[in-house]
Amino acid sequence: MQLTSEAVIAAIKAKVVEIAEAMGCDASDVGPDEIIPATGAIDSAGLLDLIAWFEATYDLAIPTEDFTIDNLGSMTMMANYLLQRKGLQ
Amino acid sequence: MAEAVYVPRVNNNDDEVKCVGLAVAVGDKVTRGQIVGQVETDKAVVDVEAGADGFVLAICGQVEAVLTVGSVLLWLGQSKDEVAPVESAAPGVAGVLNATPTAKARALLKELGLDAAVVPASGERLSVADIERFVASSGKIQKAAAQRGQANDVVPDVAGELKPLKGEERGMLATVLWHRDEAVPGYIEINYDPAPWDAYAAEFGKANGLLLNPLLSLMAWRLVELACASPRLNATIVGTKRYEYAEVNLGSTVQAGDVLYLAAVRNAARLGQLGFVNAMVDLQRRAAAHKLLPQELQGTTIGFSSMARWKVSRHVPILSPQTALMVAHTVDSAGVAVLGATYDHRVINGADVASTLRKLSKPGNK
Repeated sequence: MQLTSEAVIAAIKAKVVEIAEAMGCDASDVGPDEIIPATGAIDSAGLLDLIAWFEATYDLAIPTEDFTIDNLGSMTMMANYLLQRKGLQ
Repeated sequence: MAEAVYVPRVNNNDDEVKCVGLAVAVGDKVTRGQIVGQVETDKAVVDVEAGADGFVLAICGQVEAVLTVGSVLLWLGQSKDEVAPVESAAPGVAGVLNATPTAKARALLKELGLDAAVVPASGERLSVADIERFVASSGKIQKAAAQRGQANDVVPDVAGELKPLKGEERGMLATVLWHRDEAVPGYIEINYDPAPWDAYAAEFGKANGLLLNPLLSLMAWRLVELACASPRLNATIVGTKRYEYAEVNLGSTVQAGDVLYLAAVRNAARLGQLGFVNAMVDLQRRAAAHKLLPQELQGTTIGFSSMARWKVSRHVPILSPQTALMVAHTVDSAGVAVLGATYDHRVINGADVASTLRKLSKPGNK
């Protein structure tokens, strides 16, 4: 699995679209720097699904104190957080 | 009115027991719970207790006699002068035989497979109370219940395959059966203006840098506060008493894939508002990953559920075992916000619930 910012953002975007679709929403136009909860594309339960997928996919355990907008609010922030945690940034 | 003390059932296999002791005589004054005699089977000796305060009017059994389970051992009256009912031909139950059953009584007779002719009536018509008294005294209620249970085990006459239930499915089955068999559920709902709560949650989330919208957790926290202020909401019935829990264990429903969990934040009040919100997030995260601990799926004392995600206009939740209140939140596709609650009418009444929902419909003072 390629751990570049672009690849991670693309994978997150695909997951966001998938989760939104399951709830009858279209998230295809959500940009990488948009705050995901603020877009309304996916709700809190969807965000939990997204984070659970994120942790499982990238073998990452996110402590509760890191569960903030600043760390995980957008796709870019999520990618940066991941790369930082993996020591790649 | 005279009250009977019946010969008790000692075990499921013995329909007869031997009277091995009588501790009272006609005219004696007894108090509820007082031992009035003993009966035995091959396996055990048990005490027979008076079910009420009163005077012994008549004794129908004798020491060393073999008695039918459910027959009258003795009669109690409110005064010494009261006349004991005349015992009927049916063992142990006094009253008139061959009385015409009421419509409800007829339906119950049919359900239990009983003949009206064998059930004594206490009045001119055979009533449901007469039948219940008769079957309770003869152990037939347990048998009928067992038969109903067996009926559930009957495999349908259509091809299929039995699948074992998963742990959470067994838990849900227990919950639903408790709701059906133990609680006396009622349901009340109100519409409310969601704007104050939405604004409050947005401000709270921003102030604390939260990733998830804390709205539902904050509403659940408000319910914890209300339960602390009004312990009757956080209670259940044990026997004939209300059991008020010392702690508020807030159970919330979490849908994780196709699994519905009711996960409890234990002793929620100690956490404070932000601590509770974080605990809810933690619980929801682990539910989403199916990593909840067994103790987190037990011990709920009051519940909160939301189906706003599904935009339903109403949902009537099932009460978790030994709880009195489960709040149901939703916002439908037109934006109409609803707070409802299923409640155990044995513990709280409609006015309690309506008042609680009104308070819950607005953020607290914090």
